[in-house]
Amino acid sequence: MSEARFRNPGWAGNTGDFELTEAEVRGSEYVGRRSPDGGHPSVAPSLPYMLVAKNPEAPLLEGPYRERLGKIRSRYPTARAALIPLLNMAQEIRGHISPATMNEVAGILGLSEAFVRGVATFYTMYNKRPVGRFLVQVCTNISCNLAGADEVLAAFLEHTGTELGETSADGDFTVAEAECLAACGFPTCVQINSRYFEDVSPEDVPALLARLRREVDEGY
Amino acid sequence: MAYPYLHESETRVLSEGFGSPEARTVAGWRALGGYQGIARALEIGREATIEEVKASGLRGRGGAGFPTGLKWSFMPKEARRPHYLLCNADESEPGTFKDREIIRWTPHQLIEGCLVGSYAIGASHCYIYLRGEFFESTQVLARALEEAYGEGLVGSDVMGSGVEIDITLHVGAGAYICGEETGLMSSLEGRRGEPRIKPPFPAAVGAFGMPSTINNVETLAATPHILRHGGEWYRQWGTEKSPGTKLFCVSGHVRRPGNYELPLGFPMMELIEDVCGGLSGGRALKAVIPGGSSVPIMSAEECMECDLCYEGVEAAGSMLGCASVIVMDETTDIVKQVRRMAYFYAHESCGQCTPCREGTAWATRILQRIEDGRGTEDDLETLVEISEQMTGTTICVLSDSLAMPIISSIEKFRDDYLALIRTGERLGAA
Repeated sequence: MSEARFRNPGWAGNTGDFELTEAEVRGSEYVGRRSPDGGHPSVAPSLPYMLVAKNPEAPLLEGPYRERLGKIRSRYPTARAALIPLLNMAQEIRGHISPATMNEVAGILGLSEAFVRGVATFYTMYNKRPVGRFLVQVCTNISCNLAGADEVLAAFLEHTGTELGETSADGDFTVAEAECLAACGFPTCVQINSRYFEDVSPEDVPALLARLRREVDEGY
Repeated sequence: MAYPYLHESETRVLSEGFGSPEARTVAGWRALGGYQGIARALEIGREATIEEVKASGLRGRGGAGFPTGLKWSFMPKEARRPHYLLCNADESEPGTFKDREIIRWTPHQLIEGCLVGSYAIGASHCYIYLRGEFFESTQVLARALEEAYGEGLVGSDVMGSGVEIDITLHVGAGAYICGEETGLMSSLEGRRGEPRIKPPFPAAVGAFGMPSTINNVETLAATPHILRHGGEWYRQWGTEKSPGTKLFCVSGHVRRPGNYELPLGFPMMELIEDVCGGLSGGRALKAVIPGGSSVPIMSAEECMECDLCYEGVEAAGSMLGCASVIVMDETTDIVKQVRRMAYFYAHESCGQCTPCREGTAWATRILQRIEDGRGTEDDLETLVEISEQMTGTTICVLSDSLAMPIISSIEKFRDDYLALIRTGERLGAA
């Protein structure tokens, strides 16, 4: 066994020592494209809410999104239970959850504004202010930390020219620290919008950022 | 090399489909014997299903190790009100990455497990609570669930039996505490994920006020195999008190980190030295956290004779938890890692109980002070005192989870703390 760090399947070009493609690891072919109306009602509350395109002014319940909310509500015995799925949907559309969005959501579900404010501020995945096209969240918890996650975080800050928690001048990247992402055998794990990138080392960072910029151009 | 890396000691029950994209489909899962477990459950009936799982001795894989069959038997015999099965897929315990692997490679294994569990407890609706960060694995599971509905495996008439079981994917929004069973119920109901006092226990008053059972992903995933082959078959692995196989999540300073499915009772040093290829760079072992960050740290000496089963790790002074083995070599800065853990618990405390809300934050500040070389020897006594007051004094065990690594690290690695305090030297830090 060589002394080189053993790499588990993470992402394209970096599937480690294994004969798997990135698509196979991610299951992207099997999943295909999911429709914004949520698909089957059983899975309607599971759609993405971290997309590259963000429009803070967009309406919440137009077309397929209204349909999705209907499906979501049909799966729970109370109106309140639709709150977190609806906040997720609002963030998917607008990119962050502003106080105005919280109030709008409260109105839709017939809940008090104060209650919704309390819930929305409890969960860390709700961005309370706008973020860049890519939200880069580097796990620095114990397993990744042992593998040098602090250096990976520093590399992201350096190559995006931004401060922790802030957004780069071009609006592309917001870099933040994350708590354990449950990919501890594949350190360092970085969540970028909806995708995990695993086995990331500081040297991988420039190429990864270049790839993301290309994906914006390609309309990912 | 094929994924996953397979060691000769491994037993593939849960992990058989890992690394094979075909196993994600209904057809692929059926080819591995899938949906035979639920078929047998439907054939033998609800009571016998619970008895079979009881006979297997399966213990909850979420950390507490409570016998699954017994837990199911707490549910009311007749479903006069709706019963719910809640699958805990909020995997957030630092060091743990097994549930995500089950979901992304073998989604039907989990769906079938949810069917078996729901049927056993008389639930007509199962919610799978996934952590929000699991976007990709959730999409794989969503596609699999749509497929299962399409094939009549889930829904109003499960496999033509007339039994109704719906499954809904529910996605959280980032909060470690939602992995605590009552916190999960609060979150599912659309509230802040704040744990509730027990009793009442979920089997009496659970989600939406109805009788509910909460099981971990790995627990439910094991049940179809038990139903298909029988409880006795499952006991061919493991020990009397810890039967079966378990996914061991190994991370940290080993050459081959990853998930390994091994019989419970497997020797810890064999896992580290043999299965995982030993420590990276051939360095010496310093410490191991055997069950996710919430359990006492073990020194290298304590690891030598330790067998990885519930009773074995307890005898060695720690807990198996969810079998997340975090390996630390001689270059590890223990104080820094404990401070990082404390920061995590302070960040994730829901804030309901004073000993936890204040204690986690206070401990983090003291540990940071020590790490920065501004600590005093009295700080260690203060840390132990705070930790003792954080144990058994709150609604859930989040604060206990920080108290354990603090107390155990001060006890076992006092020299690391003292070196920083006295000379500012980081013992071991490369």
